Amino acid sequence: MIERLAAVAFLAASAAYTAGAWTFPLGTAARPGPGFFPVAVGGFLCAVALLFAASAFRGGAPAEGAAGAPPEPGARGRVRVTALALIGFCLLVPWAGYPVVAFLFVTALIKRLGDTGWAVALLAGIACAAASAYVFGSLLGVPLPRGVLLD
Amino acid sequence: MSPLEGLGFGFGVALAPANLLACFVGVLVGTIVGILPGIGPVGAMALLLPSTYAMSPTTALIMLAGIYYGSMYGGSTTSILVNVPGEAASVVTAIDGYQMARKGRAGAALCVAAVGSFVAGSVGVVGIVLFASWLAELALQFGPPEYFALTVTGLALLSRLSGGSVLTGFLMVGIGLAIGTVGMESVSGFPRFTFGSVPLSQGIELVPLIMGLYGVAEILVLAEEGIRRASIAPVALRDLFPTRLEWRQSGWPIARGSAVGFLTGLIPGPATVLATFISYMLERRISRTPERFGTGAIEGVAGPEAANNGATAGAMVPLLSLGIPFSPATAILLGALVIHGIQPGPMLISAQPDVFWGVVASMYVGNFLLLLLNLPLVGVFVSVLRLPQYVLSTLVLLLCLVGAYSLSNSLLDLWVLVAFGLAGYGFRKLSIDPAPLIVAVVLGPIMEKTLRQTLFMAHGDWRLLAYRPLSLALLLLGAAVLVGPLVWTALRRRRAPAASAA
Repeated sequence: MIERLAAVAFLAASAAYTAGAWTFPLGTAARPGPGFFPVAVGGFLCAVALLFAASAFRGGAPAEGAAGAPPEPGARGRVRVTALALIGFCLLVPWAGYPVVAFLFVTALIKRLGDTGWAVALLAGIACAAASAYVFGSLLGVPLPRGVLLD
Repeated sequence: MSPLEGLGFGFGVALAPANLLACFVGVLVGTIVGILPGIGPVGAMALLLPSTYAMSPTTALIMLAGIYYGSMYGGSTTSILVNVPGEAASVVTAIDGYQMARKGRAGAALCVAAVGSFVAGSVGVVGIVLFASWLAELALQFGPPEYFALTVTGLALLSRLSGGSVLTGFLMVGIGLAIGTVGMESVSGFPRFTFGSVPLSQGIELVPLIMGLYGVAEILVLAEEGIRRASIAPVALRDLFPTRLEWRQSGWPIARGSAVGFLTGLIPGPATVLATFISYMLERRISRTPERFGTGAIEGVAGPEAANNGATAGAMVPLLSLGIPFSPATAILLGALVIHGIQPGPMLISAQPDVFWGVVASMYVGNFLLLLLNLPLVGVFVSVLRLPQYVLSTLVLLLCLVGAYSLSNSLLDLWVLVAFGLAGYGFRKLSIDPAPLIVAVVLGPIMEKTLRQTLFMAHGDWRLLAYRPLSLALLLLGAAVLVGPLVWTALRRRRAPAASAA
């Protein structure tokens, strides 16, 4: 199933890329324009994505061994939480600022991945957020996002 | 400057205090990331690339290269003691190394692995000196058609040799080339796939992309696998010395592994992993007692450990002499060169002798430091594994996020990191190796530039690629690599029924 979904996604992305590439000036063979190479890459990508899709829908070789052993209970939940924490970090950091978001990020992951108590997770969150903000913000001079409240 | 004079000059550069410190930090970080499952050398190099901005180019490259070959040492430690390879190039070592540990010979396995790595690293330095100078001189004759043919052949080889099928290799190459076209086009400044975004007009940064595909994706896989606690075999210092018989059994495998590793490193692809498998198979095939392999044969540790270090040295040759990386790790080294304003390529040796010879000599110094570090401190390094995995995963993710942002203080890099982290996790589920994607992102712009120059030179006539012997030879090599195995299989199938009928 995952191979088929991936094949459809690859095909759609390849078609969208190639359609975008056709809108750029192509130039001539002697003087290729900015669209020349992307169109060639798009054609190649579409052909390969089609072959991949054909293979996936025939149940062919490309992703053999992909399924592996079935995941243990809670495994998908841990992946989901980690992925959501990463996306949440990107969404929140411009608004809430780095220290707050780093604290939330570390607390959530330690609590969920380590299955620890709240006290440990909160302490780890505070320590990691403070230490990383000090090292990157103060020592290395990285202008970390401060959020709308402090800006 | 002759190679010998160059190497002498390089030792002067490598032994300068700042460079020596960078080398020490690099090999130390490399050892630790080699030990830890969760972040490999590529992710660690990408993570530390921003910290090299304030360094000189030579110092930066010495540190990053130290992480690369240092990780090969660290990986063997956990393979032998815990049966958990810290990175892919140490998987083979675990087969016999762990069996030796179970028989109480962990110390001997670690010592032979470290000495084998040192010997291979030293042989590799000699190989770089000989091959890189020769190849750089040859590359001075390269024009755009040859460079275009080289990039095409390199990507074809990579697709064939990376894990998975050729089709998935091609898919990764296609995606990588497509990503490489995002941003302002270099000749006309025409914006491509930028959707009006100013940060996107600079293109997609390589470092967050690599951090995502290797660092974040690996953590997502670890999160799925759950918490594992390693039980670690204790090793006393007095147990570190192999017996006379063990030394005798290891000598030739180390020599063969060094040569196999270096030569494999010259080829595009997952050289370090491939080299260990080739070396292991070779040792088993030529052994008078192949049945010992898998039960704790020291040759099964000595050969592959020498091979993976030899391969890291071999992989530096195309980077330093042609300016073309054929692996994700050397792609980061290329990125470091470019960030520091150095033009990689055949002129590097004459234009920046301190960078070229300094890095080459530092590899010898680094291998010596690794030998000193790894044997007496093996217990300390392995204790890193006692850190709970969820703490380590969380810290690595936070470092990836801050590291990606600090590259250019751009939120786009954060999104690139996360998007490619999720994509990398998906690739893992599909058993697809993302290495060709990364190399294609780096080679794509070179390929486009040289293709346009070739067509411009030939007034649009593609046949120029066939008229020039070197570009024709390279393209034929690529075609042979792609089509050769198919033809071979078809011939064998045709012969098989004929033989059975007879």
